[in-house]
Amino acid sequence: MRLFGIETEYGITREDQEVVDPVVESMELVRAHLTDAFEKTWDYSGEDPHEDARGFRVSGLQQDKEEDEFVKLDGHRPFSFHEMKSDLVLPNGARFYNDHTHPEYSTPECRTLRDLIAHDRAGERILQRAATRRNRALRGPHVQLYKNNTDFHGHSYGCHDNYLLPRSIAFSSLTAGLLPFLVSRQLIAGAGKVGVEAQETGFRPGLFQLSQRADFMETELSVDTMHNRPILNTRDEPHADHTKYRRLHLIIGDANMCEYATALKVGTTRVVLELIARGAVPTLELDNPVTAVKEIARDPDLKAVVRRKAGGVLSGLDIQEAYWRAAQKTLSGQDEETDWILREWADTLRLLTGDRSRLVGRLDWVTKLWLLETFVREERLSWDDPWLASLDLEYHNIDPTRGLFLGLETEGKTTRITNEAEIEAAISAGPSDTRGGIRGLCIRRFPDQVKSIQWERVQFTGWLSPKVLDMNDLFDPDAVKALAQVLEAAASPADALKAWSQRKEQWQ
Amino acid sequence: MSEITTLERRERPFDPMPKPTSPSEEGGGPRRPETGSPDKDNLLKRMRKVDPKQAERYRQRTGE
Repeated sequence: MRLFGIETEYGITREDQEVVDPVVESMELVRAHLTDAFEKTWDYSGEDPHEDARGFRVSGLQQDKEEDEFVKLDGHRPFSFHEMKSDLVLPNGARFYNDHTHPEYSTPECRTLRDLIAHDRAGERILQRAATRRNRALRGPHVQLYKNNTDFHGHSYGCHDNYLLPRSIAFSSLTAGLLPFLVSRQLIAGAGKVGVEAQETGFRPGLFQLSQRADFMETELSVDTMHNRPILNTRDEPHADHTKYRRLHLIIGDANMCEYATALKVGTTRVVLELIARGAVPTLELDNPVTAVKEIARDPDLKAVVRRKAGGVLSGLDIQEAYWRAAQKTLSGQDEETDWILREWADTLRLLTGDRSRLVGRLDWVTKLWLLETFVREERLSWDDPWLASLDLEYHNIDPTRGLFLGLETEGKTTRITNEAEIEAAISAGPSDTRGGIRGLCIRRFPDQVKSIQWERVQFTGWLSPKVLDMNDLFDPDAVKALAQVLEAAASPADALKAWSQRKEQWQ
Repeated sequence: MSEITTLERRERPFDPMPKPTSPSEEGGGPRRPETGSPDKDNLLKRMRKVDPKQAERYRQRTGE
């Protein structure tokens, strides 16, 4: 069972205003996507971030107090909660909305890395098109969007990678198997950052780090996501049949611009999860994972070592190589995608110890460092020059006429996983083999009859009693394709649900 | 409701990753670009246009 997705909170600013209102700007950006009036359809009843995978429910999150303060602060505004969130489900099955004052794009669920990368890139294009429309209304290129994770003043926002897992895998196995891997994953998936900061406190320039998020990791395990951020988030919100599934919700990751880095980030994590499921993960318990994340992040020479609980030390590369060896031994030859991951993972680790310049355009931190080193040399700057943080920010600008990464991509200096046709296709429709594709199909086929929608279900209007398409256990790709055929052929949601019910009875 | 048209995504044969157009030094993997140095006429020009104070002004609320 393979299913994953990425949620990305984008940074947003208005360059024509001294003080920017992120609530209004995020809301207006999402609304700029629409041609018609906003209609409330997202169903929040499936969301409960207070359930903890360790087997208990927390009464409150650390961020609840801040959220309450924001509600008070934003309470005077002339719009409702739903209007402020402006939650949209797009024809490709993605979710696009204003989350915590950041425009957020959640890809539809994907089964393959190639689909996932196409949908992650589709998100960039959809947001940039919305910004273009918004800027047309503002009569200038004032709104700018950043696919990054920090404002360089101690405010971080996330890029979360999610994986569907069988509930039979104990959460304690995930903790033991994942922590060392996640501590060191930044070697291949870090987006790079100029300077050092901490939660809502100042910024110190001068140092280049592998990761944008490392500074904000404060504990090993926690259900919180905005404060006291954990290396491994324990939120138990599967968005699927609770008795059968877990959703691993990782918040430690950076938002990647490099397609290759996104593919390795999710691909290697998926591989490690399979090792955990098979009991084949290396035993590498670290003495202090939170300190280790920061120590590894702050050493772009990759020489930093971290302590093992059993004694001795390991570098980030040592940890990654141990995981790769276990994966190569256990999973090699399993399928084409796994072999691609294993091959590219090994190649990347080898190049990190050798000719790192060959990872430019593949790994974000290497690419960003290479750009900055070139600029420092050309302009004769010192590493604590504030210009470098601005260049760091602009690396992540998703406006193709401004963004530094996108400029590099235009020059053909990045490694592509997708092509333009695949990205355009991902803007229009979801994967053909996941419920994300079904969600999008419902929106396209019956746009006026969707009463409410969320990850697990679609509720249609038009009857005295509402009719629901339940997708909380719809993960078999053949079943997904059969349902898609039913939806395509049906004249109405009622016909589709009836035909689908009959089809399922035949199978039983 | 949205501006996006209702084009269907075509199914394609399973192909996890693009094959290299020519053999790389490592014998496989995606196409690797030439990255000897940045294009100084274009990319450095773009970098010089960035306002040195941009990050100083950039403020966000804490997200997830």
